[in-house]
Amino acid sequence: MSAFGAVALFYWLGQTPVEVIVPNVPGMDGRPAALPVRDSVRIGTIFENGPGKPSRLPGAWPSFRGADFANIATPSAPLAETWPSNGPPVRWAVDLGEGYAAPAVRDGRVYVLDYDESLKADMLRCLSLDDGRELWRRGYTVQIKRNHGLSRTIPAISDRCVVTIGPRAHTMCVEAESGRFLWGIDMERRFGTRVPDWYTGQCPLIDGNIAVLAPCGTNVFMLGVDLATGVTVWQTPSSGEWKMSHSSIVPGTILGRRMYVYAAVGGLVGVAADGPDRGRVLWQTAEWRAPVIAPAPVILPDGRIFVTAGYGAGGMVFKVAREEESFTVTVVRKFGPRDGLACEQQTPVYDQGRLFGVLTKDSGANRTQFACADHDGAILWTSGKDTRFGFGPFMVAGDRFLILDDDGVLTMARVDAERFLPMARARVLAGTDSWGPMALAGTRLLLRDSRRMICLELGETEENL
Amino acid sequence: MAEPVRKVTLSRRAFLKSSAGVTALAAAAAGLGLRRSAIAGDTVWQIDPDKCVQCGRCATSCVLAPSAVKCVHAYDVCGYCNRCGGFHTPTAKVTDTAAENQLCPTSAIRRTFVEDPYYRYDIVEALCIGCGMCVKGCGSFGNGSLFLQIRHDRCVNCNQCTIARDCPAQAITRVPASRPYRLRGVQGRSRDAQV
Repeated sequence: MSAFGAVALFYWLGQTPVEVIVPNVPGMDGRPAALPVRDSVRIGTIFENGPGKPSRLPGAWPSFRGADFANIATPSAPLAETWPSNGPPVRWAVDLGEGYAAPAVRDGRVYVLDYDESLKADMLRCLSLDDGRELWRRGYTVQIKRNHGLSRTIPAISDRCVVTIGPRAHTMCVEAESGRFLWGIDMERRFGTRVPDWYTGQCPLIDGNIAVLAPCGTNVFMLGVDLATGVTVWQTPSSGEWKMSHSSIVPGTILGRRMYVYAAVGGLVGVAADGPDRGRVLWQTAEWRAPVIAPAPVILPDGRIFVTAGYGAGGMVFKVAREEESFTVTVVRKFGPRDGLACEQQTPVYDQGRLFGVLTKDSGANRTQFACADHDGAILWTSGKDTRFGFGPFMVAGDRFLILDDDGVLTMARVDAERFLPMARARVLAGTDSWGPMALAGTRLLLRDSRRMICLELGETEENL
Repeated sequence: MAEPVRKVTLSRRAFLKSSAGVTALAAAAAGLGLRRSAIAGDTVWQIDPDKCVQCGRCATSCVLAPSAVKCVHAYDVCGYCNRCGGFHTPTAKVTDTAAENQLCPTSAIRRTFVEDPYYRYDIVEALCIGCGMCVKGCGSFGNGSLFLQIRHDRCVNCNQCTIARDCPAQAITRVPASRPYRLRGVQGRSRDAQV
């Protein structure tokens, strides 16, 4: 019996337990080794005039996060302390192609890089701040398939020009008043840019008479382009390893040196913004390695830089040190989404010596709450479990915060270093995915859901009293 | 729902499990006649996807092994993204099908290229253990098209569901047997939704 058992055991152990093993390896999804080459795009070929007139209303919001990139607006007049139950009065509304592209405002004109779904074209629309009627539109045909929306960037405006970056990384520069086409760059074709998943989220930067772009291509990482001519003024070489993220370049002065800070997929970098070595990499770190990055870096005092992202990345705080013209960067703190201020789509606001933002959905019990953090990203307080938001935008308007949730509910709240005090709350948009950043010009707030942009009057009008 | 597609031959572990499964199935079948009168036409257990917090207990608390809870995919809610919060680990550097980039511990989600930039994600039910890791990822970073449901072709409808007892969110309640699933998407908007 024991002999039989030994033979049976020997036979059992001698058998291959699994005859067919299916290893999980790359390529099991049937994705072709090479995708078809993108069609060539002739940038700026479409133009159409409209009936709109530029407004004389005050106020400007000339780029992503406003004139000083802080997302802090100074209203031209006091804002109302309360709203009617159905929200502040709507001055005008326009339909947009599906997406998150948001407006910039200057000289009574509202600019938004829309996607015209009928023409299949990126379309820079210039609207009147008065009534939303279109002054002109300039665009180009480009095939975009719906992939969590179609559009998602904000133009940058100088006194003469408007610069846009489209979903497939087409850069266009036109005259701000007339819409006359000046120049265009297809970053994918010219620099070998890999367009991020869900399309380009990088908003262009105008610094003086230079447009600053981060194509993160095979040879060029960042470059400055003359606004008038489209000629490259300086460029930062690329190793090709760091890729374009959904984040945007932030200009700032760190330890006395002006620089452009950018969070690429691969790492964080500071590039000289002035001087004879403009375009030189001053410092870089690969410690910030989030695979998807939408928020822009936040430059804090004393050489600190705060970065955050979704997809479980959490956030990090870096400190830049300077010794003459040499810069180094070190990690101050690294934390997961449950352990500090983590934002997925919107960039935190630094105000009153504190960081503010809406936490990610994977932030544990505090998920999607509005939160205040110290300059290390440590949470000081949150809005509470009954006051949650989502991926929507938030900004400072004078002495209060404006926060939009996913479904178009706008909240006005007094916020200080100690607490969150709601002032008013109303559904102002009917649709979903209200994720495009807001813009405040004068006392008019521009905001959108996935399909429609509206202009609200937040001032002390009779309707708001 | 997708049919299992992986070709898997019988392993020692599978043999032992299937033996246990047959025994359990026989016991369940024996008991079925006794309890049918009590449940038929009445109520069955189901998960409310809007209450589920993906704690993982559905995979471990069920009297069945693997659990009667499976992931379900509402295709009309899915974004068909290249980077999928339900399929890829949050920190995946590369969005491919390599094991190290997959979130599911049993590789129960099959990813198929449709056309640039779309990918389809199917649940391989034979491999799904109902852990909810993909559901958490999809809800945190995607549209929430993946969700957990008690599959009534497996559930033995215990008088006291052990998962419901252990659920920290009280997400499992009895629902009418005539509408045994709580779905999302177009099917979820139908009163008489059926999987």
